[in-house]
Amino acid sequence: MNFDWQGAWAAVIHHPLFGIGITLGTYQLVLAGFEKTRWVFLQPVLASMALVVAILLLCDLEYAEYRRSTEILGILLGPATVALAVPLYLNLRRIRQLFWPIFTTLVIGGILATGLGVFFGWLFGADHMILMTLLPKSVTSPIAMLVAEQIGGVAALAAVFVLITGVIGAIAGPWLLTRLGVHAPEARGMALGMTAHAVGTSVALQESEECGAFAALAMSLMGVATAVLLPLAVTLVV
Amino acid sequence: MLLRGLTWLVLFQLLGTALNHLCVPVLPGPIIGLLLLLVFLMLNGEVSAPLSEAASSLLRYLPLLLVPPAVGVMVYAKQIAADFWAIAGALVLSVLISMAFAGVLMNALIKRHARRGEQP
Repeated sequence: MNFDWQGAWAAVIHHPLFGIGITLGTYQLVLAGFEKTRWVFLQPVLASMALVVAILLLCDLEYAEYRRSTEILGILLGPATVALAVPLYLNLRRIRQLFWPIFTTLVIGGILATGLGVFFGWLFGADHMILMTLLPKSVTSPIAMLVAEQIGGVAALAAVFVLITGVIGAIAGPWLLTRLGVHAPEARGMALGMTAHAVGTSVALQESEECGAFAALAMSLMGVATAVLLPLAVTLVV
Repeated sequence: MLLRGLTWLVLFQLLGTALNHLCVPVLPGPIIGLLLLLVFLMLNGEVSAPLSEAASSLLRYLPLLLVPPAVGVMVYAKQIAADFWAIAGALVLSVLISMAFAGVLMNALIKRHARRGEQP
């Protein structure tokens, strides 16, 4: 009896569940690795992305096909963005207490974080599409991806820029802040969450509860502010 | 429980999508949904149990949901390679400068805020 190995292989890798299967598998693998080693470079999204890309290249599959088979995960991104309102609401009381410091830092720091990325990108000669994708790099990825798409950037690239930004911030941030004499947990959390979003927040949480709460707060405020103001600003300027 | 919360989230997003088409095309539907839900929570004064359950379970798996769009980067490998140093430089410099600035500013503002609190 003759087995059709090639046919079976093709049937498996072209099955609509294959994309979801490798995504779930690699994600859990990376998560387990991260739990064990606590290595900053093993950010779940970044490392899973690299593994999935490797698998797709090995199997000679197109991105479009993978995208189609994982559509169900993408659809859930919308409700997940809406769900960000819940942690934001729970932090409202803290915002009221330190309203002016938070507001001032958010406005000036936010403009600086967003503007500097584009300024340096332009200075080093990146093209328009890359610049538009660099704009939302300091916000958490779901918002960054939505905003990038809206203003003429590329969602997938935005996700990668966001992650790289987060990892750099998480590695160098605490050291840099200590060197500069920033010791108040509120200020450290605010700086980490504002510029390095979720990755910075996870580092802030390891420092102290208060630091983490402020990082989460800064991250959600920065995300909402960017989502609301950046598309407006881009339509006005460009 | 989970399903009821999920239904609320979906409802708010659909509401946001409708508003996005009707009057605010600059804001994506989910973002309008986020703002609407925030206003709703502020009016309501509390987060209901189903909503909080659905929100926390969705947010827990947020990284997983982001993997498929992130894989799309393989389509842009050429553009990234072309602008590699510009991108890397822009990301590293802007993150470090803005983080240092935000930290120092917030630190100073908190100190001033605390001093003002002592002597009203």
